[in-house]
Amino acid sequence: MQLTRAVLAGLFATAVLLEARAEAQEPDPKPAEAPAAPAAPAAPAAGEPAKEAEGEAGDGGAPAAAPPSSNLTARISAQMAAYQDSTATSVFTPNVGASIENPTSGWGVNGRYLVDIVSAASPDIVATASPRWQETRHAGNFGAKYKPGNFGVSAYGSASYTPDYLSLGAGGQLTEELDDKNLTLVQGYGYGHDTIGRTGTPFSVFSRDLDYHAITLGVSRVVNAGLVLGLFGDAVLESGDQSKPYRYIPIFAPADAAKAGRGASPDEVAALRINARPLEQLPLSRQRWAATGRMAWRLTSATLRLEERGYTDSWGMFASTTDARYMVDVGSRLILWPHVRLHVQDGVDFWKRAYTANGPGDLPAFRTGDRELGPLRNLGLGAGSRLALGKAGRAEDLVLTASVDGTWTSFLDALYVKDRFSVIGVVGLEVAF
Amino acid sequence: MPRHLSLFALLLGLSALAGCTQVKAYERAKLAHPTMVTSSFSGPAEEHMYSVQEGAIGGGASAESGCGCN
Repeated sequence: MQLTRAVLAGLFATAVLLEARAEAQEPDPKPAEAPAAPAAPAAPAAGEPAKEAEGEAGDGGAPAAAPPSSNLTARISAQMAAYQDSTATSVFTPNVGASIENPTSGWGVNGRYLVDIVSAASPDIVATASPRWQETRHAGNFGAKYKPGNFGVSAYGSASYTPDYLSLGAGGQLTEELDDKNLTLVQGYGYGHDTIGRTGTPFSVFSRDLDYHAITLGVSRVVNAGLVLGLFGDAVLESGDQSKPYRYIPIFAPADAAKAGRGASPDEVAALRINARPLEQLPLSRQRWAATGRMAWRLTSATLRLEERGYTDSWGMFASTTDARYMVDVGSRLILWPHVRLHVQDGVDFWKRAYTANGPGDLPAFRTGDRELGPLRNLGLGAGSRLALGKAGRAEDLVLTASVDGTWTSFLDALYVKDRFSVIGVVGLEVAF
Repeated sequence: MPRHLSLFALLLGLSALAGCTQVKAYERAKLAHPTMVTSSFSGPAEEHMYSVQEGAIGGGASAESGCGCN
């Protein structure tokens, strides 16, 4: 029922957007066929969104929007995403966003609101004899930026709420363009405070706090007229108890642990485990570090985008994530691409498929059943499209995007599940006024 | 293996930075293409899925907080 309501709301939002777009076009105070600028006088700096650039992009560039007749540019976007996986989890995520900016004076504000409607009956839930679980998450963020010249500052706030989880965050970012806009430096800081509770129990009765500080440093460099490289470092310092208050961990006698093999079923685990079944317990702090390199390489009629992230943390996890898209121009308005993503990670230091104890008084200090903390491999394959539907000379004023990605996950050392296959489909629409 | 893969890719990227040329404003037509941003190309829903399916975070564009998977 919730899903139906959300679908209807999403379709209604899309219809409103299209109607608003049609109304905006009718009187059309803007020149319909504004002459394109010979070059790109307000050329983007390294890593700056191309949407902000004005003028016609020739020589392999897609047609950009003509210079606006007003100092303000407003954009509204709507996106709908649907996720389904082989462990009986489905998520439907509609979201809407809006932004207003003044490219001349350099200020802008933006906001986004999304809803996650989650329905799950994964093997972990089945193993605890619990019914299918449903939850709705509401999340929103807003931001403001001011960049009158080569130096810019931005700030954001975010909130996310489910009946058992409240998350609040705020942060800011400084950017500086150097070397005639060929080099951009980025520094950011964010603080977040999460309150973790249990459904049906007020936070005042039961809750745990999780605080985190996130620091980002980055550099983006225009290497030549068709190549941009970016290198970003992230540190996230978390403190607090982030153990899941619903996650019970099966414990085995030392002699039986090996019998609970990879992918052992809930019935096999129930037959082997001892009576003790404690809640998950994670370390009370975690320091994460990530280094991400990005490359965007524009060829004659295609763009190759590569991303590589190396990650490690104080829990002993190492991970590598590689993401690639080859985006091909099909005419002047349509871009199509295949997408590949590979994620490889080791497990955390305290990861065990089967935790052992001689009795309830001898439990391991740290224990988890979160498969994403164990060793795993993800291979994702997908495809996407971007279609500029605006009228001639202003094609980028109306953009429709769509993508489908499938991910195969191999859990190398986990109970209940050996593999998971998931699919996510996303459709988005962005309108500029 | 993960650490070797990442180290190799990052060293490759750093070595490419050494060959930079200064690009003038009038030479930036290709850079204005909508596919040439250096921020992540994934939307909020995809970023959120990755943050749940992968045990690593950082370097993404997701501003939402909380996993909703308590």
